[in-house]
Amino acid sequence: MLDIADRPASHDDNSAPPAGGSPIAMNVVNRWVPHNIVMRDSWFPVAHDYSVTGKPVRRAVYSNPIFLWRDNGGVVASEFHPNERVVRDKSDYTDARGRYPVMEHYGVVWIWLGNPLAADPRHLPSLPFLPPKGGLPRHMTATVRFESSAPISLENLIDLTHADFLHADVVGDERSDSETIETFYDSETVTMVRTCVNKSVAPVMKFFSGIRQPTQNVRQVIRIYLRSHCAIAYGRFSPGDDVPLFHPCTPETRDRTRMEMVMNTSNAGRMFSYVMPKAGYKVSRQDSYMTSPQSPRYMRHTDRKDLHSKFDQAGQRYRMAMMELADRQAKGDFAYRDNVSADCSDIIGLRKELFQF
Amino acid sequence: MSLDTDLWWAVARSEEVTSKKPLSVDIGDQPVVLWRDHQGIARALEDRCPHRRAPLSLGCIRDNGLIQCGYHGWSYDGETGRLKEIPNMKDQQKFPPLYKANAFGVSEQAGFVRVCLNPKAEAPLSADPKYGYIGTVNVSCSHQEYLDALYDDPALILAIRGVRFSPYIMSELHEEGGMLVMERSCQWHPLHWPSHFVAEFPLTLLTRTHPLTGETHLTLRDDAFNDLLHAVLSPVPAARGVTAVRWRAELGVRRPGLRGAMLRGVNPLTVLSSIDGSKLRTTKPTVSLHGEDLRNALLDAPQDTHDQTVAA
Repeated sequence: MLDIADRPASHDDNSAPPAGGSPIAMNVVNRWVPHNIVMRDSWFPVAHDYSVTGKPVRRAVYSNPIFLWRDNGGVVASEFHPNERVVRDKSDYTDARGRYPVMEHYGVVWIWLGNPLAADPRHLPSLPFLPPKGGLPRHMTATVRFESSAPISLENLIDLTHADFLHADVVGDERSDSETIETFYDSETVTMVRTCVNKSVAPVMKFFSGIRQPTQNVRQVIRIYLRSHCAIAYGRFSPGDDVPLFHPCTPETRDRTRMEMVMNTSNAGRMFSYVMPKAGYKVSRQDSYMTSPQSPRYMRHTDRKDLHSKFDQAGQRYRMAMMELADRQAKGDFAYRDNVSADCSDIIGLRKELFQF
Repeated sequence: MSLDTDLWWAVARSEEVTSKKPLSVDIGDQPVVLWRDHQGIARALEDRCPHRRAPLSLGCIRDNGLIQCGYHGWSYDGETGRLKEIPNMKDQQKFPPLYKANAFGVSEQAGFVRVCLNPKAEAPLSADPKYGYIGTVNVSCSHQEYLDALYDDPALILAIRGVRFSPYIMSELHEEGGMLVMERSCQWHPLHWPSHFVAEFPLTLLTRTHPLTGETHLTLRDDAFNDLLHAVLSPVPAARGVTAVRWRAELGVRRPGLRGAMLRGVNPLTVLSSIDGSKLRTTKPTVSLHGEDLRNALLDAPQDTHDQTVAA
């Protein structure tokens, strides 16, 4: 069941929680400690499919070692290197041979971290703009790292007003005639829709898509799958292109994040389709400039509450939803109450005619 | 590190605080951002945006003197710390008093910008001139260790061109007007007799140190009691056990001759950016041992004996 958060902008930290009757108080949300949130029973994206070959590559989720290699074409995900002289105990997350549940989908390798018996493809996030069997050209993919916790990186993403300052040279500054933000959520996802009218045109589109107008209407959607720390960032620019981005924030450790990004620019102009995915390298460094010093300040509890504005509605909801889910998991409840694999095209407003597979 | 919140720390030289770029400094574990507003007044806030805890020092200074966080663009007034603007909120630009960053007391005198964590504390008065030779170093050494090194062997932390510090002390560390004062015998360098055979020393280095902040006034004198060099050394405890040292110096009376010429010209004072660990380890704590007792006695004494408004 998808609820709509239409909480009015408020500056009262003791105000009532948003619609939905959350048991998490706003005071707690504004003092959250994302460093302590560890999710399990979830699919985590750990590699682009082309990265996994016969030679083992190493990954980690919450410091749990993961070695990936191909055997007869299929992917093996083991917590032990094949050459390793095993002197440590097997974790509870793998089978008797020390292997994680693993699957390939959307051109990405996913491992299940949690109870191996609960691994189910039905819990894989819906990414309707990516071909289910993969196959997008490599120039639409990249691997990027953040020196911050995954929730901090995702909160950064869902608070899109930051882009007007940190990424103005890529996506344009804050000037627009109007800006509205809507937030939708269920127990497993938070989706934010930002609509800007006559926003300063994104420089990257000005230079590489040939947009001549000074402004453009923008509809940006951020959809976060809470457990797997994956996000969809989908921008519809008019005039301009449709740019859907798979933006996973895989927690390699509790304070370091890996992003195996995929940006489907197959419908954009040739030059833009090559350049825009590369912008991730620049944008991610700009984000790290803030999130890297920010993240350690969220490692320990503090009595001081973060302040917020009406633009932080989605970020507040994200914090609340994460804390609720973490609270449930702490009590031993790992069940999915909402279906994350159901096609989310309508929710994110995907122009499906552009993304037929 | 727990610090007395009423102390005034010389965390920057005046030249370092500009309206072009915010300056990040620390007082112990407390990060502080400094800048100069549109009226040229130095301002200090906690270096932490209360919105998402990003360092304000990574932001910018606006034409109206506000400091703007570089993350989401929230702008703060330096005098009160109050939030003044959130971008794209043209409909609401008045915010409740709760919406503020922590503001600190600021005082600028004699070429130093001093900050007090208590914004209501009375600023110190200083009659010191603004010395022209300047410098800043960050030393991987705790604040107290740094001062102990100064007491036991100044050569561990500084150098004066043409001058050698001897191990012989003319006046041991003692209290004088709320300050820790000592005077060390010095020689001209490099040509000199071994100091343990010397009957008369031609120079002394007088140091007057505030017992809490460690801010130290140094005076190099010759045997005719001429002040050849004045300097102010301001060590401030910073993050991760580092001591940030700002200093200013000025030549005193002109001393004729070759040795006097060695002092003149370019800046004769060097404050070292690192301490030789092997020398520090083998330097016996002598003056500093006594200094610790004296300092504790001073701190136990009634407050007015080390009133910073007079002493510093």
